[in-house]
Amino acid sequence: MSKSSHVGAALLAVAAVTSLVGCGSQSDFKPRVSGGDARRGALALRQHDCGVCHVIPGIMGARGRVGPSLAEYSRFPYLAGKFPNRPELLVRWIADAPSLAPQTAMPPIAMREQDARDMAAYLYQLE
Amino acid sequence: MNVNPVPHIKLPHRHKLWFLALGSVCLLVLGITAGFVVLLSGGYSTAATKQHFAITYRILELGLRYSVGAYAEEIETPDLSRADVELGQACYRRYCAQCHGAPGIARDAIGQGQLPAPSSLVQSAREWPAAHLFYVVQKGVRMSGMPAWEFRISEHGLWSTVAFLKQMPLMTPADYGHMSGARQESDCPPPTHSVPYSAERARTLLQQYSCRDCHRIAGVVGPRTHVGPTLVDWRSRKFIAGTLPNTPEHLVRWILDPRALSPQTLMPNVQVSEVHARTMARYLFEAR
Repeated sequence: MSKSSHVGAALLAVAAVTSLVGCGSQSDFKPRVSGGDARRGALALRQHDCGVCHVIPGIMGARGRVGPSLAEYSRFPYLAGKFPNRPELLVRWIADAPSLAPQTAMPPIAMREQDARDMAAYLYQLE
Repeated sequence: MNVNPVPHIKLPHRHKLWFLALGSVCLLVLGITAGFVVLLSGGYSTAATKQHFAITYRILELGLRYSVGAYAEEIETPDLSRADVELGQACYRRYCAQCHGAPGIARDAIGQGQLPAPSSLVQSAREWPAAHLFYVVQKGVRMSGMPAWEFRISEHGLWSTVAFLKQMPLMTPADYGHMSGARQESDCPPPTHSVPYSAERARTLLQQYSCRDCHRIAGVVGPRTHVGPTLVDWRSRKFIAGTLPNTPEHLVRWILDPRALSPQTLMPNVQVSEVHARTMARYLFEAR
């Protein structure tokens, strides 16, 4: 077998793996927050020190282990293990978790509703 | 006389090896590529309505028989003539008849829709040695619908079931119906005895109680799930379910009855026995 057919086989394998990744992650549901902006959300997550308790990819220093990791958050079917992960519930949860679950260790955080919306938008683009 | 009609190319010995090696690598690369193409084209059907080729079916069947024979070799069969056949039948009615049917009783929709189809035990139980039946009932059959029962039925219950299986081929529908009056399905005994801790056993439990289908767990293979939080590096977590301080004792209580500790949790009670919950909790704290 010649060198070029080796290269051909390798290319085919690469193409195969790429299409596997492409097809394999086909998703029928992408959560969206109306009026949320992911870029402002990243800023808000930093300002409110969410990384003290959560691992959040793309947010510097967000390595907290008190709450769960939020990596790949767009794929989470449940919110805090207690509710279906619906955008409007997440917005409420971010600003005032105890209003939804009195027992939770996550505190209420003083913020504008727009900040919560932006943060939710950021979390929902983590794939 | 030495006649050699084939033209003979003289190659130094080292070069021959070199060509052989190159050829094998090429074949390997081709094989892997062909495998990828079949896999990624989506052409391979995973439908339960599409039976294997006859040759594939026979090979898988043969593989099952040899594997069961080898693994069951060390199992010592107790004296089944004194076994509690009625208890075995209670287990059979509770867990087996749905898929395998019984004398004069058809299997139900779940049993009919599966591929591979559950075997008709009137035939296989008649022919298979008791130890082989015990092994299959205890451990299940991977990639078929046959579950492992060792975490739902005690060893006594499993042997009683095997004793019943050996009798079933000799029973009329009337015999079977008559025996059904002897015991309740709920009499089928769950496992009770505790087994010394081992990480491997813990991993099996985490698999068998389907923990791994909602949580990622170090050392246990399963889906890339996000239903529950990942349990990898569990010991560094501060809280259980965002409410309870994370201690081994709390974790055991949580596994046993999540809703008792956090009424809003969506984690169901998976009916874990306390012994098993302790094994799981210990593994989660030790595993990285």
